[in-house]
This record gives sequence, C-alpha cells and structure tokens, in this order.
Amino acid sequence: MRTRAAAGVVLLSIGAVLPSCGPEQPARKPETHTIVMEGVAFQPASLTVAVGDSVVWVNKDPFPHTATSKGVFDSKEISVGKSWQFTPGATGELPYVCAYHPTMKGVLRVTAAGDARR
Amino acid sequence: MRTFTLAVIGLLFVASSARAQKPTDAQIAHIVVTANQVDIDAGKLAASKATNSEVKAFGEQMVKDHTGVNKQASDLAAKLKVKPEDNPTSKSLKSGGDKNVATLKGLSGAAFDKAYISNEVTYHQSVLDAMDKTLIPGAQNAELKSLLEKVRPAFVAHLEHAKQVQASLK
Repeated sequence: MRTRAAAGVVLLSIGAVLPSCGPEQPARKPETHTIVMEGVAFQPASLTVAVGDSVVWVNKDPFPHTATSKGVFDSKEISVGKSWQFTPGATGELPYVCAYHPTMKGVLRVTAAGDARR
Repeated sequence: MRTFTLAVIGLLFVASSARAQKPTDAQIAHIVVTANQVDIDAGKLAASKATNSEVKAFGEQMVKDHTGVNKQASDLAAKLKVKPEDNPTSKSLKSGGDKNVATLKGLSGAAFDKAYISNEVTYHQSVLDAMDKTLIPGAQNAELKSLLEKVRPAFVAHLEHAKQVQASLK
C-alpha cells in the first residue's frame, strides 16, 4: 500500500509540473543569425534576435574589421574571410561599431526568447 | 599641398579624358594598384611620424586597408590574366604621391598631422570621382567592374573618417 501511495504522489507531482511545458509554449530552439561585413558595412545593419540565439559576423571585405559594443562584446580583429560568434545572454539594445572604421555601425536588438521575430 | 595637387590632377585627368580616350582594363588595373600604393606610402609615413594618436591610427588603417584592396586587385588581375599596364595616369599618380611624401617628410608635429590628413581628404575624394566617372564605367570585364564597385565603399568610409579626424584637429 505504501508503495502504491508513493507512486500516486509521484504521478500527482508530474501532473503539477506538466502544464508549464504543454503544447502552448513549445521550447524554442536557438537560431543562428549571420551578419556580413562587406563594403565597410554590417549587413543587415539592424537585427533582432532572441536571448540564447547565436550571431555570427562574417568578414567578406579584403581587410580586417571588428564588431564592438562597448562594455558588452568585442570580437577583436576579424581577419579577411574569418568570422566571429556571439551569443547574447540578456535582453537589450546593443549598438556596435567596427573599431577600425567609425562610419561602420550596427545595432543588435535582443529580445526574450518568446518575443523574437521568427 | 602643391605636390598633392599633382596626384589630384592625375585623377582629374582620368576623369576629364574619359570621353576622349577610355583606359583599357589593364590600364585601369594599374591605376587602381597605383592609387592604393600612393595611399599606403603616405600612410606608412603617418604611422611612424604623426604625433596625434588619431592621425597615427588613421595612417595605420590606410596601410592595412589599401594593402588588402591591392592584394584583392592583384589576385583578380592574375586570375583574369590581365597584366596591369603602366600609363600616363598611373605615372602622374605615382609622381604626385612621391612628391607628397617628400613634402610631408619636411614637416613635423601638428603641421605634419594637418597636412597629411588634409591630403587624405582631398585624395580620397579625387579617387572616388575618378572611380565614378571613369574607372567603374570604363571597366569592360565584369569581375573587374564588380571589384571596383565593392571597394568603392571603402573609399567613402575613408573619406568620412579622414574628415572626422580633420575636424578633431581644429
């Protein structure tokens, strides 16, 4: 009897947890977004991603660039043909520049995982 | 300033003579490589001689960027089996650039910084004019034309950057 009662408790516990991971809120898989550095510009210059997504900057110019958001992220030098990845861990609007080319600007908008544009 | 004007005149010559005598792809390739090299030479001098940190950094940047563009241009010329051909415009650019460097070597401190960055503003504007009026429309090979179009924004960015540095010196 004790065993059956214990099993009942376990089943009740599972039942209490289940609603939070039901079909209404499916787990969102992190996505990977690419920003191309070409023509001394970030393309796209403005991008919205979700917390946990990966953002990859790819340098297609014939000289180095950086993706630098003061105090948040800094790729350091991204050589010709190379790339650099960043995974934002918090929401926010992150303006960034190329540290070598001050006219080269971009903005990364990081939303909560459920709010991101798919 | 006078020496630099020579380089500018060379580029204006490219622009004004466009209708009369279009440069060939081999000549355009040579003009592009020379125009980059002229800016690399001046940039190397600024990197070692400038006293203002922004001017120094700008010079270093010009060496890095124009070396990259030249490598790309040389690689493409080799791929297309185009042998860059010397021409009056390239000669004028080279001699103007050499004289500019000679003049800059005679300056120091703030006078050097101002003269260098002022020349960079004028030079990049002149290269852009030549690209728009002659080099891009004149390029026959699609890949050469595409390369010119792709590096054009670098000259725009350098021009704006040079203007920012110039304004900060005043």
